[in-house]
Amino acid sequence: MKTSLNRPLAILWAALLALYCAGVPAAPLAEYEVKAAFVHNFAKYVEWPAAIKARSSLRLCILGQGQFAEAAEGLRGKRVGGAAWEVVPVGSRSDLGECQVLFIEASEADKLPRLLDGLKGSPVLTVADSEGYAAQGVAINFYLEQNKVRFEINPAAAGRAGLKISSQLLKVARIVAEPGGRQ
Amino acid sequence: MVIVLPVLAADRSPCLRLTACAGALLLVLATPASAEEAADLTQLSIEELLSVEVYSASRFAQKTTEAPAAVSIVTAADIRNYGYRTLADILGSLRGLFVTSDRNYRYVGVRGFNRPGDYNSRILLLVDGIRVNDANYDTASIGNELFLDVDLIDRVEVVRGPGSSIYGSNAFFGVVNVISKRGRDYNGWEAAGSAASYGTGKGRLTYGRQLDNGAEILLSTSYSDSRGQNLYFPEFDSPDTNNGIARKRDHGSYQNFYGKLSYAGFTLTSAYSESTQGVPTASFGSVFNDPRTQTVDSQAVLDLAYAGKLGERLDLSGRVFYGGYFYDSVFPYDAPPVTLNKDQAWAEWWGAEARLVGQFDRHKLVFGAEYQDNFRQDMKNYDQAPYEVYLDEQHSSQRQAVYIQDDLPLGERLRLNAGLRYDHFSTVGGTWNPRLALIYTPQPETAVKLLYGTAFRAPNAYEMYYSSASLGSKPSVGLEPEEVTSYEIVVEHQFQANFRVSASVYQNEISNLISQITDTDGYNVFRNIGQFKANGAEFEVERAWADDTRLRASYAWQITRSQDTGTTLENSPRHLAKLNYSMPLFGEAWRAGMELQYTSARKTLAGARAGSYAIANLTLLNRKLAEGLEVSASVYNLFDRHYADPGRPEHVEDLIGQDGRSFRLKAVYRF
Repeated sequence: MKTSLNRPLAILWAALLALYCAGVPAAPLAEYEVKAAFVHNFAKYVEWPAAIKARSSLRLCILGQGQFAEAAEGLRGKRVGGAAWEVVPVGSRSDLGECQVLFIEASEADKLPRLLDGLKGSPVLTVADSEGYAAQGVAINFYLEQNKVRFEINPAAAGRAGLKISSQLLKVARIVAEPGGRQ
Repeated sequence: MVIVLPVLAADRSPCLRLTACAGALLLVLATPASAEEAADLTQLSIEELLSVEVYSASRFAQKTTEAPAAVSIVTAADIRNYGYRTLADILGSLRGLFVTSDRNYRYVGVRGFNRPGDYNSRILLLVDGIRVNDANYDTASIGNELFLDVDLIDRVEVVRGPGSSIYGSNAFFGVVNVISKRGRDYNGWEAAGSAASYGTGKGRLTYGRQLDNGAEILLSTSYSDSRGQNLYFPEFDSPDTNNGIARKRDHGSYQNFYGKLSYAGFTLTSAYSESTQGVPTASFGSVFNDPRTQTVDSQAVLDLAYAGKLGERLDLSGRVFYGGYFYDSVFPYDAPPVTLNKDQAWAEWWGAEARLVGQFDRHKLVFGAEYQDNFRQDMKNYDQAPYEVYLDEQHSSQRQAVYIQDDLPLGERLRLNAGLRYDHFSTVGGTWNPRLALIYTPQPETAVKLLYGTAFRAPNAYEMYYSSASLGSKPSVGLEPEEVTSYEIVVEHQFQANFRVSASVYQNEISNLISQITDTDGYNVFRNIGQFKANGAEFEVERAWADDTRLRASYAWQITRSQDTGTTLENSPRHLAKLNYSMPLFGEAWRAGMELQYTSARKTLAGARAGSYAIANLTLLNRKLAEGLEVSASVYNLFDRHYADPGRPEHVEDLIGQDGRSFRLKAVYRF
């Protein structure tokens, strides 16, 4: 039994090797690296209050456990206009009003309503990548469509933060109205 | 617009990847972390980013580390990549699970348990929360009988271990949660057709859409027909019985309809399926090679579910449901003359469930209640002509249950998940089932889970009432639920976003197992007699590379002994190994998916051995030939390995040979 088992396996690995050699490396990219690059771009399409525009740094806060944090490290030091990214992991009890962009991981679903309540009036651009978050009041929410990263925007949520999102960004996004809202 | 980006050096080195796919796990561990030095994507504009294709991390990184159990997930992509035809194919690829066939139905073994004679009653199968296990035999249908086409599956989550503290009866060794695709996953029509060995053809037509008001609709229907093959059974090798050759007696056909409509938190699901399967094994002492021998299984589903918010931190979900399972069969017996015997069953039930999930301070609490009325549990066995009834049973029963679960952080790194459920059956009374899980996360990437729980299965209508002196059986009175107490330690570690390993060690103590025995008076009867102890260990590694090459490899060791006789259980392999490897070929146009499954020798009912075997399956997939077109070619049992599964009590055959090399060509078109 054992010997008859080994031969097919050897052939199998040979076949895998052949398949491999036939394979040309493809180029899909890590989902979260692409999302981080999107966040970098978002900052350019948001009209920040003058006080923030004057700063030399932009603070990107990451709340919760997930895969965005590692990818966001790549943004550290990169510049949007005159401001360089600071990347800061935060807890839900941190002063989130100090963030310019707040990425909320899926792990924070339970805390989301309380969290968004606490942010009311602060000029913080909230970003997430969990289904339904935009409808719940997150300004920009990623989703995947046929292996491509897409995003939805909740303009009312951005408005509550006192942020205006450029029409160029709105044009390529799926617009989400809040339940009961008049968007 | 296609953007060409520089390719990573480290992660795509052929030799590193080869050693990895060769299964040298240590070398896999040594491969460097991925994707650090990728091109500077921040240089790209929004429009450019929108056209970049990514490999999804999320489907891999389901937060299984947070689940209070050892969980496996199979996605729609896996189903495509590995050419899975049924839920049985999916389950057979998973760690510690194995699927056997008697050429009539398929049976899944979990943690060393797949006794010949059982009908998949010790796993609970849910489709979008709808209980599939029927009210007569408790069967979790994993073959063609299932009402949901495998192409419509978005993902399958297999939760190992006792699940009765939330799910009640049947969640004995595990729960299989099937989640279907949504209308928005199609947004249009999809047609699929396939041709396969043994004269098998299949077609499917699906329509799905999300409307502007948020409503979603999904409609699908499938039809399949298989002419069958010639099979040789040495037990019947005599001139009277066609020299042991059953000529295309394993033919089969099935059709199903599935519809789902959702709007504003409500989801209405309706489905119907009918599967006809020829039986080539002359089971239950029927006439060999008779073209009329067949079983027909039908399922009906009508389910209205709701999920919504009652407040900021309070979620409500619930459902009202109707389910039906209908069984019809023909078995010819040489009386003489040859008489057609019909065995039939009708099970119908309706019920309601509600579940509240709320966050109260640090507690995440779940409260639930269920009611099910099995208003029809009928079985009949009779000869057609001359008409003679051997069994005609009409029954009904009810069950109700309440449960509570609390998830409580005990500090930064420790979480307690505790649950308790009470079930009451009109037939056998009440049973309590607790579950405790302590989850320790010393760092975000690592979880250690200590699990304790009990689960049960109530005797079903078949076990309680299928008896007739003329069929050689007598009523099974005084049956009680069978029980399992389980202890398990699970360790999971995620090295990076796309690389994780998990291991678990468990012990199951099974008592009062409902088993059919032959009593001293010669009659067959079901009794609570089996006491078993199962010990096992499982190890699994999963990895995805930046170009969406994927590897999943697992090994499971288990030993199950009867406490009464000290002997090992039949159809219980000591070792199971699985390997799934899928990768892009020729750029991204093609993909290859390769599977290896090893099952060690098993004891048969006659005390002989079903030899160990390893089979390989290969699928080539292309999704880029034309817009909306996906084609695939699969070879199952690539090396034409001859192997057999143990027969069941209803078989003369102690071993039942399985399919050799077979093929399938499939095309899916979206429009």
